[in-house]
Amino acid sequence: MTSERLVLTRSRAWDVARSAHRAVSWTRVGIVAGAYVLCLVAFAAFAAWRGANPLTLIPTMLQSSLLEPSALAQTLLRAVPIGFAALAVAVPARAGLVNVGGEGQLIIGAVAGAGVGIAVGAHVPGVVGVLLTVTAGTLAGGLWAAISGMLKVAFGAAESVTTLLMNFIANDIMLFLIYQPWKDPNGSGQPQSRPLAASIRLQPLLGTGVTLAVVLLVVVTVGLWFVIRRTGWGFALRVVGGNPMAAMRNGLPTRRLSLSAMTVGGALAGLGGVLNLIGVEGQLRPDLTATFGYVGFLACFLGRNDPIRVALAAILFSAIALSGNGMQISEGLDGSIVNVLLGAIVLTMLTVGRRTKEALT
Amino acid sequence: MSAPNDSRAEPHDTPALEVRDLVKTFGPVRANDGISFTVMPGEVHALLGENGAGKSTLVKSLYGVHRPDSGEILRDGKVQHLDSPSVARRSGIGMVFQDMRLIPALSVWENIALHLESTSGVLRPRQLRALIAETSERYGLATHPLRKVEHLSIGEWQRVELVKVLLGGLRLLILDEPTSVLTPQEVAGLFAMVRRLTAEGVAVIIITHKLREVRQIADRVTVLRGGRTVLMNASPHALTDAELITAMVGEPVETLQRAVTPPVTGAHALVRLNGVSVRRPDGDWGLRDLDLEIRPGEILGVAGLAGSGQNELADLLVGADGIADGEVVVDGEAVALPDPVRMRRAGIVGVAPDPVRQFVVPGMTVAEHTALWNSAGMFAFDVRHADADLRRRDAMAELRVVASSRRMDRLSGGNIQRALLTLALTSDARVVVASYPTRGLDVLTTERTRTLLRRLSEAGAAVVLISEDLDELLALSDRVAVLAVGRLAGILPGGTADRNTIGELMTGVEAA
Repeated sequence: MTSERLVLTRSRAWDVARSAHRAVSWTRVGIVAGAYVLCLVAFAAFAAWRGANPLTLIPTMLQSSLLEPSALAQTLLRAVPIGFAALAVAVPARAGLVNVGGEGQLIIGAVAGAGVGIAVGAHVPGVVGVLLTVTAGTLAGGLWAAISGMLKVAFGAAESVTTLLMNFIANDIMLFLIYQPWKDPNGSGQPQSRPLAASIRLQPLLGTGVTLAVVLLVVVTVGLWFVIRRTGWGFALRVVGGNPMAAMRNGLPTRRLSLSAMTVGGALAGLGGVLNLIGVEGQLRPDLTATFGYVGFLACFLGRNDPIRVALAAILFSAIALSGNGMQISEGLDGSIVNVLLGAIVLTMLTVGRRTKEALT
Repeated sequence: MSAPNDSRAEPHDTPALEVRDLVKTFGPVRANDGISFTVMPGEVHALLGENGAGKSTLVKSLYGVHRPDSGEILRDGKVQHLDSPSVARRSGIGMVFQDMRLIPALSVWENIALHLESTSGVLRPRQLRALIAETSERYGLATHPLRKVEHLSIGEWQRVELVKVLLGGLRLLILDEPTSVLTPQEVAGLFAMVRRLTAEGVAVIIITHKLREVRQIADRVTVLRGGRTVLMNASPHALTDAELITAMVGEPVETLQRAVTPPVTGAHALVRLNGVSVRRPDGDWGLRDLDLEIRPGEILGVAGLAGSGQNELADLLVGADGIADGEVVVDGEAVALPDPVRMRRAGIVGVAPDPVRQFVVPGMTVAEHTALWNSAGMFAFDVRHADADLRRRDAMAELRVVASSRRMDRLSGGNIQRALLTLALTSDARVVVASYPTRGLDVLTTERTRTLLRRLSEAGAAVVLISEDLDELLALSDRVAVLAVGRLAGILPGGTADRNTIGELMTGVEAA
């Protein structure tokens, strides 16, 4: 009995050691790090060709995105919509669904939040107003994505297509509202909604420049990480995503699971949209989301559907986007040049990425 | 395109084929590790061995698919280098693969034309079709040159493959497990053709793991194990079954003897199918008007040609498939299907017909599969205790399941099957629906699995055994139900069922 137990323990320790070994492969780390360096070098070369100084380039970029406290705050604030949009892709991906609708779900979350926010205005205490606004945005995002989810489970319509098309509808709804019923009378003719009452806007925390939205992104990210790894729902999503037929044969409610994954994804993006509205924008306007939804999709890809890595990727993309400001000021280049770096990173990760299909653990 | 040589008159001193010390490695794996044997003209030589013994690797070297690392292949006493299958074909070697290589969208004669070396740009359909008809008739291989391959039965499909190789001026024919998908009648037809070929001096190598076939057709036998020759050029008549199995496995194996169990009378059925019909996704009937009783303490064998409704029956019983007509009664109560949870709670578990598609979840470990299995539709997944549970089950089943931390999708087919069997056969089930339970298993694990199924039925469980292996069905079943194109062609008592009767029922001869 004792010797049996000994053998058992040893073999389990061996298994653990092996899986740990598999988790950290130094060759892989080297390849990925090398790929990032290569991207930076290529980008620096490109910027030098456009007239920038390659030696001061990187410090300038770091300065204008991460090193300056106010720049860091900007980076984190912008990481909120990108991060939530990325998580909105990561959750359905567990169930094998491709959500390309982050952009539309961000918009519809902001629209619903704006509607409730304008309606309740200063009639209720600030905390209640914020809670109502945020709840409305989250629910709207979830319902918006659930439409695609329903089309998927009821008719088998490809969710990758329907979510994408829903983005255009969401954008048109917002444009209609800001050109017509919700148009700001004091906006000097600009198509924008009336601004939200100050009581509903998020204030910077203790002079740091970041708002509660950033804290919420961190909390939700860690929470999702736990939910996906440790709950029955997360486990069941992995089964459905890995092999729907096996899920069905084991009695899992595959349709409901797919629908729930899609809805939760949409709700996350809706939350991101409304947080961006009450934290940064304050009113609806065209190009409110500035393709954060699509950037989030790429961030999710870069983070391999793991919530924590996905959020980090969102911060990286946000930092790259903001570093364009520094380029514009000190190097006299167009800020959008940083899109070259962003594109290079995504393309490189596409090539060095999924050599072997990674585990959905 | 000459007919096989009639070289019977010469004394057969020089072997048609001699293999000397053949070695073929794949990375660290020595698939063939010094194999030698000889085949005389006009002889049927059986290559016997378990899965992974190196039989397929060996014949692929003979057909020019693989290049051996070392060793020699001699044809009629001369060393020959077979660099590619087309070189092998030109020198008169023909091979019929296990997975048959025809193009379904083309007709029979077009498939044959594609294969012929002499087909150069211009096809001469009429001439070719005449040649096909002549060859078919000569060897008793009924084929229809104008029919599309996709409409052929598996037996016809194989006959087309044979005509294809016969047209090429055949001296040495290699058959890779040719009988595994055939009815007994079709096996008899195949063997008659083999005898006609050997009478014309053609040498035939037949790969098999069925002893009965070795005895039926082979003049000599060579046994492979772990890539080595363990028994060379032996006469099967001088050996007992036990000796041949011991050579294959490396240790004596007790094969399960048919136990005579008293017929179960009056026992009330656990599951009853009343006039059940099932539609396939393509709209055809998968099952049609099926009446069947599944009784406790009984092994109900299900025989049929591939695709006769066995998989639909298996899916139906585990609740994975709905029915178009009729009713499924479980414990006296009609159930609405599909409902896997309902069937599982009624104590019905299944060994899936296609484990890779129906059981394996990519990215998940064996332990996680165990947790999923144990959840039984309850939406609670205990991964933490899955390892201990799997070990408990392994101690009961003794099927040597792999470590629970391994990823299921990275296991071999045999190891996946072991994991699935370990879970299914230790679940205190009242009904076990076992589809092809021993497919891909070695001889020892196969015997162990059969023993477990027998024990389950002795303990009062109902076992539905779906199998392509008639010997397995006859050895285990109390009753054998035969399906033909989704209909029940007949039910025979297992003890007295006769292979030929089953074969006739399978092809619907009596039903028609």
